[in-house]
Amino acid sequence: MRSGGHRRGGAVAACCAAVGLALLLAACGPASGSSSGAAPAASGGGTTVTYAMQPGAVINYPFPFFTGGSGGNLGNDDVYNVNDFQYQMYRPLYWFGTGVSPYLNTKLSLAAPPVYNGKTVVIRLKQNYRWSNGEPVDASDVMFYFNMMIAEGKNYGFYDSSGLPADIASVHATSRYVVTIELKSVNFSQSWFTNNQLSEITPMPMAWDRTASGRSNCASSVTNCLAVYAYLAKQAGKAASAIASSPLWSIVDGPWKLQSINSQGKVVMTFNNQYGGPVAPGHITTFVQLPYTSEQAEYNVLQDPTAGQTIDVGYLPTVDAPSPAAGALAGANPSTLPNYHLSAQYIWQLSYMPYNFKNTTGQAPIFDQLYFRQAFQDLVDQEGVINGPLHGYGKPTAGPVSLYPPTTYLSQQVESGGDVWSLNINAAEKLLREHGWNVRPNGLDTCAHAGTGAGECGAKIPGGMALKLSMIYASGIDWIQSAARELASNASLAGIQLSVKAESFGSVVGAVFSDAKCYATKITDCTWQLADWGSWTYAPDYLPTGDTLFSGTAPNNGGGYNDAKDNQMITATLQARTPRQFDNAMHAWDSYLTDQLPVVYEPDQATLVETIKGLDTGPWNSADQITPEYWHYVK
Amino acid sequence: MTAYLARRVLQAVAVVLLVTLIVFGLLRLAPGGAAAGVLGSGSAHQEFLAQYLTWLGHVLGGNLGRSARLNEGVGALLAASLPRTLVLTGVSTLLALLIAVPVGLLQAVRRNSAVDHLLRGLTYLFYGMPPFVLGSVLILYFAIDKHFFGAEGPQAPGIAGVITDPRDLTLPVLTLALVTIAIFARYMRSSALDSLGQEYVEAARARGGGERRVVINHVLRNSLVPVVTLLGLSFPQIVGGALVVEILFNIQGMGWQIWQAAVNHDFPVTLGFTLVIGVAAAVGSLLADVGYALLDPRVRGARS
Repeated sequence: MRSGGHRRGGAVAACCAAVGLALLLAACGPASGSSSGAAPAASGGGTTVTYAMQPGAVINYPFPFFTGGSGGNLGNDDVYNVNDFQYQMYRPLYWFGTGVSPYLNTKLSLAAPPVYNGKTVVIRLKQNYRWSNGEPVDASDVMFYFNMMIAEGKNYGFYDSSGLPADIASVHATSRYVVTIELKSVNFSQSWFTNNQLSEITPMPMAWDRTASGRSNCASSVTNCLAVYAYLAKQAGKAASAIASSPLWSIVDGPWKLQSINSQGKVVMTFNNQYGGPVAPGHITTFVQLPYTSEQAEYNVLQDPTAGQTIDVGYLPTVDAPSPAAGALAGANPSTLPNYHLSAQYIWQLSYMPYNFKNTTGQAPIFDQLYFRQAFQDLVDQEGVINGPLHGYGKPTAGPVSLYPPTTYLSQQVESGGDVWSLNINAAEKLLREHGWNVRPNGLDTCAHAGTGAGECGAKIPGGMALKLSMIYASGIDWIQSAARELASNASLAGIQLSVKAESFGSVVGAVFSDAKCYATKITDCTWQLADWGSWTYAPDYLPTGDTLFSGTAPNNGGGYNDAKDNQMITATLQARTPRQFDNAMHAWDSYLTDQLPVVYEPDQATLVETIKGLDTGPWNSADQITPEYWHYVK
Repeated sequence: MTAYLARRVLQAVAVVLLVTLIVFGLLRLAPGGAAAGVLGSGSAHQEFLAQYLTWLGHVLGGNLGRSARLNEGVGALLAASLPRTLVLTGVSTLLALLIAVPVGLLQAVRRNSAVDHLLRGLTYLFYGMPPFVLGSVLILYFAIDKHFFGAEGPQAPGIAGVITDPRDLTLPVLTLALVTIAIFARYMRSSALDSLGQEYVEAARARGGGERRVVINHVLRNSLVPVVTLLGLSFPQIVGGALVVEILFNIQGMGWQIWQAAVNHDFPVTLGFTLVIGVAAAVGSLLADVGYALLDPRVRGARS
């Protein structure tokens, strides 16, 4: 649920936020050492990689602890600030993603997998990691984070009433490298706790345990943590130029140290020689991130090998990508990019468009009807969108768990069936007719038989009510715009008048996740009906358990879907005691929500990565993490 | 002349104050406590006028607010983006002026000749071509195919960093200049044609002045008035940036910054930049008025 979207064109990931919180939402000059150099030949060696950021991406926030509420810093929790910046310098306790697998990566984690025993969770840190000031990464650094989390309480950015920090009875450093947590409840899934709770923790160095007046002791006492947080948040909120020279942020345990960052967003990092984790032999030593104003500007520079700031790793706009052959993930490169290798990266995410079940303009009773949601999903041409605006770089979505990357969470129904909701306008019309609607293809359907019985429109739908709906979608994202227009066209064929309106990404996400009028105790003015901004990225909660998006009390259930059986099944996944029980509970839930259609399922879009030939980056991480310490040039 | 200038300056000050009033009104209406971000939380109880005067004091002291999204002061963002935009649009406007004036004059003097037809065709072509298309064509040929120039604008900070990178500056400047040349030349041609038909031109010719001397001394000066008007009107664009060119050439200038601020609901930045562009519009108008007066004594006589 990390905000800010993917780092590449076309694909926008979800913004994250808890309800009521703030909107969840380099260069080498011509001779400065980009190993790709100015010659149009592929790289064959070098120590620098220049990495092009997504257009509009901003990197400027080093503090890896987030709070919500008024004055909170959750607005800085996006993939650029966290994955591309903070995690390069300050490694999270647990790392997720190994190539296309989104599971726990034990090799890159700072601690061994947690050990569970009843209500006790034991975290045992590896002893080979040190801060760049020479101090070991130990239990006190983890306690620093835990104490700050407990002090912030409900203001903690990822507060979970059934998880952290609410469910903590006590937490202690039981030895120099061991942290023991005693939980209040015993009924929790170990997978969920590891993947969706402990995944949020980033150890913080003792040098940060201070206020303006000097050293503090948040690592050992919750009492002083609010003052320490306030001091650190203030330091992190300073201008970009102050961050690189700060004695606080220069203390790292990750593989990279910040050398410079400017107000334009150009970030230069150098390798931290004291990093204790695994690296590739001959890895690069300078990692440069460059900002871009548009996809087109980035693509232009990719095509110009003599550019002042050559790009070693960048992103190809989907609209410029040749389609892949059947069965292949990526197609050939455009002919203007002979020096690059194209790969398609599928992020661990869910692409969907919520219905607003809290809508106050009269459409909520329509969305309440399962037959309507089925009919509406029949109008979504996922294959058409994948083969059209996405140029073949997409996978259909059939339920609450994405088909790709492959996981053990998919129900048999979805795993074998693929897009179980393919375009079928006749089926949509049939469903509407069978439920009391007077269907007028290319006209306007009206409810002919009001009532709640068989063959009637359903509760609270008056006779004569017309199927007139509206949808807002995020502007500036080609495939979303095309998909919205095609959906409106397909809907009109079935007599549903769907008016679509482009708004800024922030407006759409703001309407769904943080409009106070839609989260009031008594909702009287909540007008959006359908909203499309792209996808929801599973980070730092890596399990698609539904407690973030689909349960009745989920913090990011923007549309307000609430179904008793769904809630029970989500609880079952959260309380599964063994991995097998967990997978079984997930299969049952995935199957149920595939049929129930709480949202409109949309195609899962790929990110197209261009890598200069000769640079080995390894497989791209499906959890949207980058590991430049593994990147190296091969001859 | 002094009285005329004084009146124009006072009018410009009044316009600027009106702009500040509107901008502050919008800042106060913006959701998320944007005004409080500039004024401080203790200002919430104050009346509008007191808040406005406090804000004006902040603005005059250089405090335009702070962007929570970018963790930067609006003043610092202006300082980073304004020099890029000034160089880009300033150089392109100057270049356009230096080319368009003689081109327009030549077209008027050689009216309906082959040269006039050719130049008219070119000005129509560039005038009708969207900057995005023109810029893309220039990039495809001169940067990607021939490698003569860079595919993106200068990335070094500050005016010196931008000006000292002519390889990367050429294509964005050319994209803007070609369109501006087309506009200025059309106005210059039309104005020069009017001047050429005036009695004082005939009188100068009758007094035995050579054609070149007549054109330069009598036609050129009088034909520049509408171009000066255009120049004054383009001042806010010079300061406000050329959004499309900035987006296409990866230049984080004023236009791009204000667009990013708008789509991200970054109200302090949107309104801080709007204020600067509004002031530029008033200053541009004032400079145009001064230009009229310098070019045509009748103007200051009639208005004084």
